[in-house]
Amino acid sequence: MNDRGVGASIPRKEDDRFLMGTGEFTPDVRIAGMWHAAFNRAPIAHGRLLSVKAPKGAEGQVFSSADMADIKPIRSTASFPGFKGADFPVLARDKVRYAGEQVAIAVAPTRAEAEDIADAIEVEYEALPAVVDMNDGREPSAALVHDHWADNVCCETEFANGALEAAKEAAVHTVHRRFRMARQTPFPMEGRGTLAHYDSRLDELVVWMSHQLPHPMQRGIAHFLDLEINRVRVICPDVGGGFGLKTHLDGETMAVCWTSLRLGRPIKWVQDRLEHLICDADCRNHQYTMTAYTDEIGKILGMEVECVVDAGAYSPWPWPIGVEAATGVGNLQGPYTVDALKGRSVTVCTNKPPSQPFRGVARPGACFTDELTMDAIARTVGREPWEVRLDNLVPPEAMPYDTVTRKHLDSGDYPEAFRRCVAAIDPEAVRERQRTPEPDGRLIGVGFACFYEQTAYGTGPFGYSAWGIELVPGMEMATVKLTPDGGLWASVGIQCHGQGLETTLAQVATSELGIDPDRIAIRHGDTATAYAGTGTYASRSIVVAGGAVAQGCRELKPRLARIGAHLLQCDEAEVAVENAEVRGPGGSVSFAEIAEAFYHHPENLPDDTDRGGLTVTTGYNDKVHGGVFGFGAHGAVVAVDPETGQVEILDYAIVDDCGTRVNPLVVKGQVIGGYAQGIGNALYEESDYDENGQPLSVTLADYHVPAAPMVPDIKYDYMESPSPYSTMGIKGVGESGAIGPVGAIGNAVNDALKGLGVEIAETPITPRRVFDAIERGRAS
Amino acid sequence: MTSTTITVNGRAVTADVEPRLSLADFLREHEGLTGTHTACEHGVCGACTIMLDGRPARSCITLAVAAHGTDVRTVEGWDGDGTMATIRDCFRKAHAVQCGYCTPGMLATAYDIVTRLPGADRDRIRLELSGNLCRCTGYIGIVDAIETAIAEIEGGS
Amino acid sequence: MKPAPFDYARAESLDEAVRLLAAADGDARPLAGGQSLGPMLNLRIARPTLLVDLSPVAELREVSEDEDGVTIGASVVHSAIEDGEVPDPTAGLMRRAASGIAYRAVRNRGTVGGSLAHADPAGDWAPVMMALGASLGIRGPEGGRSVEADAFIADPLTTVLEPGEIVEAIRVPRLSSGASWGHCKLCVKPGDFAESLAVVVIDPDRDHCRVALAGPTHAPILLEEVAGTVADANGWSDALAGEIKDAAGRGIAAAGFADTGDRYAINVHSTVTVRAAREALSR
Repeated sequence: MNDRGVGASIPRKEDDRFLMGTGEFTPDVRIAGMWHAAFNRAPIAHGRLLSVKAPKGAEGQVFSSADMADIKPIRSTASFPGFKGADFPVLARDKVRYAGEQVAIAVAPTRAEAEDIADAIEVEYEALPAVVDMNDGREPSAALVHDHWADNVCCETEFANGALEAAKEAAVHTVHRRFRMARQTPFPMEGRGTLAHYDSRLDELVVWMSHQLPHPMQRGIAHFLDLEINRVRVICPDVGGGFGLKTHLDGETMAVCWTSLRLGRPIKWVQDRLEHLICDADCRNHQYTMTAYTDEIGKILGMEVECVVDAGAYSPWPWPIGVEAATGVGNLQGPYTVDALKGRSVTVCTNKPPSQPFRGVARPGACFTDELTMDAIARTVGREPWEVRLDNLVPPEAMPYDTVTRKHLDSGDYPEAFRRCVAAIDPEAVRERQRTPEPDGRLIGVGFACFYEQTAYGTGPFGYSAWGIELVPGMEMATVKLTPDGGLWASVGIQCHGQGLETTLAQVATSELGIDPDRIAIRHGDTATAYAGTGTYASRSIVVAGGAVAQGCRELKPRLARIGAHLLQCDEAEVAVENAEVRGPGGSVSFAEIAEAFYHHPENLPDDTDRGGLTVTTGYNDKVHGGVFGFGAHGAVVAVDPETGQVEILDYAIVDDCGTRVNPLVVKGQVIGGYAQGIGNALYEESDYDENGQPLSVTLADYHVPAAPMVPDIKYDYMESPSPYSTMGIKGVGESGAIGPVGAIGNAVNDALKGLGVEIAETPITPRRVFDAIERGRAS
Repeated sequence: MTSTTITVNGRAVTADVEPRLSLADFLREHEGLTGTHTACEHGVCGACTIMLDGRPARSCITLAVAAHGTDVRTVEGWDGDGTMATIRDCFRKAHAVQCGYCTPGMLATAYDIVTRLPGADRDRIRLELSGNLCRCTGYIGIVDAIETAIAEIEGGS
Repeated sequence: MKPAPFDYARAESLDEAVRLLAAADGDARPLAGGQSLGPMLNLRIARPTLLVDLSPVAELREVSEDEDGVTIGASVVHSAIEDGEVPDPTAGLMRRAASGIAYRAVRNRGTVGGSLAHADPAGDWAPVMMALGASLGIRGPEGGRSVEADAFIADPLTTVLEPGEIVEAIRVPRLSSGASWGHCKLCVKPGDFAESLAVVVIDPDRDHCRVALAGPTHAPILLEEVAGTVADANGWSDALAGEIKDAAGRGIAAAGFADTGDRYAINVHSTVTVRAAREALSR
């Protein structure tokens, strides 16, 4: 038995190259004759674009939308009511709609020279009033981001299920709150990057991209450039983090592809940090107005909610405007037995960069809303929030459980996971500590958050396919091949940018066939090597690609058994395929020997050898299509300095359940990585704008990504509730850690402030926001 | 163009470069040492950290011409260094690497912590890491790795 | 994020540096460690025509000590002060301040003179030097002169340096054995520029008590009323904290150090002042 398969905490196969500095990221790729691109960008948030003039001597090195008549605007589709497409021009055309929007591309032998030219391009604008805040954007007096629209609302959704009126009538308490999340940015360490190169031998545009979705990008680039898909190859090499940012097709990439074809020269654009912070897609800017109806002890009977989402100026492709809002409303009841929910979402265009899903999509917002509401309920009914939560959590005996928003929660013991989290935090001890003032004057608070994580969802009825969008993930494919020396090669259409899938997918194959992970090569991120796929996002890849790889191995087994039995001169029914060999009653034959026979000595093969050979291309689709559901419980103890408003995390606990853990080391790493981003969400990160739509958080002096001292150690525990629907019971875990912190920390801060009679309801919970809340409390 | 001579991973390199060329771009573009990554280019994130005359330095805000006469060691240049081998092994075991983009800079800082502050506890390790951003790992694995490396080197010496 | 083009010259001596700067057309700037200028260049906020590299100038790295204090060459790097390689006449204040500047990799290159000359309003050294009563030795085409630290920074990113002048050294007076200090820096993440930074130095034997305050929007200031209150204080009490906080608020308002409507900023600055004073008075 090879013990390095599923369940083993083996170090990652990909670590060596990163530790030796020999990984290959898009900026590292060089091709002879390559030039660099830089972009001239709008200095104002909203204005008419009157003229673009290249500097003297650089006319052949500058291109604007006027040159690119043959390129289509990036257009996304959706079936949301009132959906307005908000075409995303590759380069600004007629108008600029956010500060930093790309107006012209400049190319030169070096990046510095390209920037010199981009700087010297003369652009004339007629400034227009900017729509900066989503609420202002809904006012009749607001400027129009898109002139041909009647207003700035680009999408509205409504959802209702259950008897809300009856719930209202039965309610003893009504809790009403408004919550808001600031804009922030995913901030992968490596920004975007694209290198486009026309390969004349293959008549193919080869595009290296720092991206999560190679196949959809191949399709999008081909479509918007009007090329056959055969003529576009997308390679996503090592990618320095994505977190959802690198799931849409950006205008810069299209401009780079077009310019490369136009000039017949490889062109590379590496997004720098200034570009990333000024004008790349942002996220999380939601506002929730929540009314919860409860009984006497805080059991939630019904919810009514409005979610407003700031979409920015354009709809990204393939995830259009509206996905954020629909996801937010579609998860607002959390992991609780709420029977009635009425939700409405409004998505508003503003003069800011497009909004894009970020790890957790809208669920951190939903978690912030439902979890802070839960604590507000607890305060209203005069009980401890952990007791109220336990009364509301979906009990294990109700599994599988269909939520009011029609999420099919498949498995798990949510109350038990939460109880473990509570035990790790020991809130009673915090209560005891709170009875005595702290020597340093700080205020102590404790808070919790629970959430489910919908992972690897596909064609289920209340997701992608219901939204009528461009990209609906369904069958995920893998090709699995026994190599001539008895190793395994597998190619998948997902993309790995830190998740360790080169290791974990190998471990899945190891469990199926017994081949050591070191002898298994996982290939991903290249449309030329993977048959099909939609990439890595939504905590899906280990579930779907793992399922596909396992299925491929399983389909390979009878073929190996047939050849092995023939070589062992026994009956097929007598052999077992395991431990990298075929074993019969009188002996065994290794996979290497079988491969040797198949590839090099076919004279030794049986006549009925499978015509598919030793390679299988097959797929995975879960049994319910609505995804498999993980669960997380987070608990936090914080100290709030009432003098400065600073929040320090004193203790943090996470209990996570992602079903079968393929590699516990990697699972924990994913959870902790999400937790750190959640801390940024809760306390630090904000992409701020002034009243004219000028971005204020454009360097790391203003945009605060958590550093090591801001991410304390945690108490970590796990449960394993295998999904009944997925291969080996695996559930995704990529987003989980990022969902909970905003709820747990928000509640802990509010617990600390409760003696002052104030609550925080907006992220990030900066010292200034805490101070202002305390001042408000003093004033009232 | 200005001439600059830099010892890169033990080998003296002389080149005529534009004065505005950063040391990071010199290493990446001229020397092909793409293990040094740039991520913020304003000295905050630490991805570009290399060893300059034996001490960690930001290669994104150091000009190649100003590095004239210095000795630079990049992530590619640690062959035969037992301390770095231990650190790398600890990084591997503690799952201190995810996407790998910050890793070369992290290793330079980790080397500095391990050699300069052998008594560092977890809080001090975190403080010393505050100039190296990682967006994937949440740092805990990195702190674990450095803590273990200190203990192993202490125990072995 | 690549700099706009510029010319570059290496100065082998201070005289040569002064000569090169004086002879240059347009915006010529000295380059020391480049840790402040580098980001400005990359962001194209600074677009000098010429950089004169001071790093070969050995005399700028010299340190001398006498009974009354220490003279620190402008090119001495922060980490040398942090590590105690430079004699510290301030009973640890300079080492504390140095260790909080940015990150080790920046401190290994960044220089004390460069940091002061860059004059970021939230820079770490200016309030320390102001509170200590340090002075800066300046060399220019007209020769040398000395400027008190509290008169050096005129406005954010603006000093009293004339074109062609270079900070040569910083003269730090020696604290008496009975002296005491407090240093409180508030920032989002360790190593960030301060949201607020207060330094208190009490040296009764030299009849010296100063309180300096730095922040992101205004050149650093001395809070004289607070210094008077601290000098007269006898131990620490909540009442004294309140007095200092109020006095700091008055000083901040008088100097226009923070927007009068920005209650949060005023509160943070006065709170940080109180904490620095508490540290000084509790030593």
